[in-house]
Amino acid sequence: MSLTNKTQDMPLPPDPNAPRPTIESGPPATTPAGRLPINTRTGQPIQPRPQPGYYPGFSTLSQQKFWDEATRRVVLARVNNPPPIRFFTPDEARLMRAVIERVLPQDDRDEAHRVPILNYIDDRLYHNRIDGYRYEDMPPDREAHRLGLQAIERIAQTMYGQPFIALPPDQQERVLKTIHDVEPPAAHDIWRQMSIQRYWMLLVQDVVDAYYAHPYAWDEIGFGGPAYPRGYMRLEGGKPEPWEVAEQRYEWSGPLWAVSNEYGPIGAGHETITPGQEGTH
Amino acid sequence: MTTPHTSGDAVMESPLAGAFDGATPGAHMLGPIQTLDTPMRRYGPHDEVDYVIVGVGSAGGVLIQRLARAGFRVVGFDAGPFWDTERDWVSDEAGSYNLYWNDLRITGGSEPLAFGANNSGKGVGGGSVHWAGFTPRFHPSDFSVYSDTGLGADWPISYQDVKPYYELLELEIPVAGPSYYPWGDPHGYAYGPHPMGGVGDVLINGCTKLGIGVSIGGPVAITSGSHGDRPHCIYRGFCIQGCKVGAKQSTLISHVPDAIRHGAEIRANCMVARVNLGADGRVTGVTYFDPDGNLREQHAKVVIVSGYSIETPRLLFNSACPGFEQGLANSSGVLGKYLMAQAGTVVLGRFAAPIRMYKAPPAHALTEEFYETDPARDFVRGFAIQTVGPLPIAFAKQMMVAKGAWGWGMRKVMMDYNHWAALGFLGEILPWEDNRVELAAETDRHGLPVAKITFGLHDNDKKLIKWGVDKTMEVMYAAGAEEVVREPRYAHLIGGARMGNDPRTSVVDGFGRAHDIPNLFLCDGSIFPTQGSANPGLTIQAIAARTADYLIAQGAGVVNRPPRAVPAANPPLRRDLSPHSTAGRGMPRLKSKTPKAKLGLGGLAAGNRG
Repeated sequence: MSLTNKTQDMPLPPDPNAPRPTIESGPPATTPAGRLPINTRTGQPIQPRPQPGYYPGFSTLSQQKFWDEATRRVVLARVNNPPPIRFFTPDEARLMRAVIERVLPQDDRDEAHRVPILNYIDDRLYHNRIDGYRYEDMPPDREAHRLGLQAIERIAQTMYGQPFIALPPDQQERVLKTIHDVEPPAAHDIWRQMSIQRYWMLLVQDVVDAYYAHPYAWDEIGFGGPAYPRGYMRLEGGKPEPWEVAEQRYEWSGPLWAVSNEYGPIGAGHETITPGQEGTH
Repeated sequence: MTTPHTSGDAVMESPLAGAFDGATPGAHMLGPIQTLDTPMRRYGPHDEVDYVIVGVGSAGGVLIQRLARAGFRVVGFDAGPFWDTERDWVSDEAGSYNLYWNDLRITGGSEPLAFGANNSGKGVGGGSVHWAGFTPRFHPSDFSVYSDTGLGADWPISYQDVKPYYELLELEIPVAGPSYYPWGDPHGYAYGPHPMGGVGDVLINGCTKLGIGVSIGGPVAITSGSHGDRPHCIYRGFCIQGCKVGAKQSTLISHVPDAIRHGAEIRANCMVARVNLGADGRVTGVTYFDPDGNLREQHAKVVIVSGYSIETPRLLFNSACPGFEQGLANSSGVLGKYLMAQAGTVVLGRFAAPIRMYKAPPAHALTEEFYETDPARDFVRGFAIQTVGPLPIAFAKQMMVAKGAWGWGMRKVMMDYNHWAALGFLGEILPWEDNRVELAAETDRHGLPVAKITFGLHDNDKKLIKWGVDKTMEVMYAAGAEEVVREPRYAHLIGGARMGNDPRTSVVDGFGRAHDIPNLFLCDGSIFPTQGSANPGLTIQAIAARTADYLIAQGAGVVNRPPRAVPAANPPLRRDLSPHSTAGRGMPRLKSKTPKAKLGLGGLAAGNRG
């Protein structure tokens, strides 16, 4: 988490004479290379690419002729026609985009293969598609997102004296981490209007709802995607289908400054029970 | 349509020689599941029908089929659509949003429940469209929890009253499972068990190492072989997104087509606003919003509400009227109370070797070894451990809770998706008066007050969950997981309008008839006094079939009989009312009266007499 290595403002591959980044620190967050995940065995930042992950060459979209028509229509619309921004104001959209970039960073994706998460969240709020319930200690989702952005901005100002979007990514993460930990240092009047941990869950859920609905994300994690009418033949032993790709692992980590690399319960240190919300059995 | 592809297309394009291309596009598709060749009957606005059923879900689908087959004039209402499964359903998590009851509810209490995708269906087939399809029976002990433990409640009926309907519905659904199922009342399944997926193997390995019995390949409401018009399972893992294949049962495909062929009308996209009470203390029908939002009325001799644990109480509260100011049929004050959900904590384990848990149905193996009360533990009742197979979005949300994942950590753990397996703990939470459904101040788009739900755990529940989740984690470790985490959550809904013998402490009797109103019935999970740790879907359908037999046996007496004069005897079991494709009629036997010589079978038939 140190920012001591100031020489890594790199176009890569690095100048061979420059000191190599160490696995302990990595390039600082303020540099382009510092925004990238890192191979912790080689110490090298992992350059942006069309498809991160351990499944090179795996493409769910290449299988689309094996999908049923209704599914193909829904998934291709998601890929090819992201909805416009209609709910958030331009200022809100800028801030929300910056928040989303930290809640689910895509710095290791090339521009053409980033998932437009903001557009899908905006579309949900624009159409007011709710999940069928609202916690009694929460305002409606639209209002919660607007209040949340105001709170994030005020936490950034309190912690660093600057707008959230002007902060380097490590400081942005630390702002968000205070909400994850249910210990925000500012905006207490807003938190009286809504539960901190439920707002955090709303935000993260909306983001992962959008990202992991996208075929690019499926390719990244090796998920087979739509599977009707073909189905699966190789059910046991984690074996790939003939059209899937076997995993090719390497040592992958988020940038070493990232506090989001570390796992810890929402509301760390608080007596909170946070039930999940998806259907399973 | 063209889309950007990443590399590797050449390798992946036609690994199976283009199995679904051909001269007749679509001919190789598995659906559409059934084409209904009978035009649906339509009743006019002034026709009085025999039965109105509110909610064509797990219970309503079975009820309407039985009553139509028996010749009654019956109309089913559903607030959601009549699905065209090939057009409306997708093999996609986010795209399945419309399957759920997503209208507003307010949720609170110390452990607020999640609704929508978690437990609430909307549309014909109801929750059975998006259930995972586990179909264990309740155990005999479930019907006498209060007598046995001093906590919870007793049912006014016993396991033996329901058993014939379990056997019948297991054939109608049909349920696939092992030929010997050891727990509760031991029994077997007529349809073979399914092959194992990666998560099932994890459950087998963990349980076997700890000496815990485990049932594999079922019981699930998923066809392991073709059945009538329905193909077998293709193991694609999208069960809770609606089974496009038609392998997983919903009443939409198992019972509703048969109902329509026998003259039932189903009014989809119609939200019932209230049940109407006549001057003589009997209900006269329902008022509903038609698909265009116009308020309409439908008269009926009998109304059956099958809206499940939230919407059934809500409708009765919204039907309050002079004489029933606290809600229709609520002279007891019990309506909305004793709501239950099962503790459904998901225990997730990371394995060194890939699992790929998205393959195979989420539901395919379970253990009920810990189902019953064990005096050695410091709580009563028990739990089951079952396979679940979260797809990426659900898994990401589980990681958000279980590991607190976000940011780069979320990306990293999701890149390991294929290394994780998930087991579902399913623990019995007892009925408590303060867990309840009420009306909120807010209204829906029709102006109807929405439900407000309050839920919390009591001492026995907390102890049971602690012990059971620890045991589930132990199983996961025993299976070889290197890291095990858990996501607390709740599954299913039960109660809110419970049955009982005492009109002061229950809303309906053992057949679902309202104590207060002779021609009003409730039939769904809301009337269950307790819930066991079995998934409730099968029991809801079985109870519906039993109620139907009762109504059919009563005939016109249902309408005319005075309140609280209910025959205690079980009605005759009507096996002849099963849908057409139901198997289980047994090996063909010759009737002994038939002259053997005439059939040319000689003495062969002699040993064949049933």
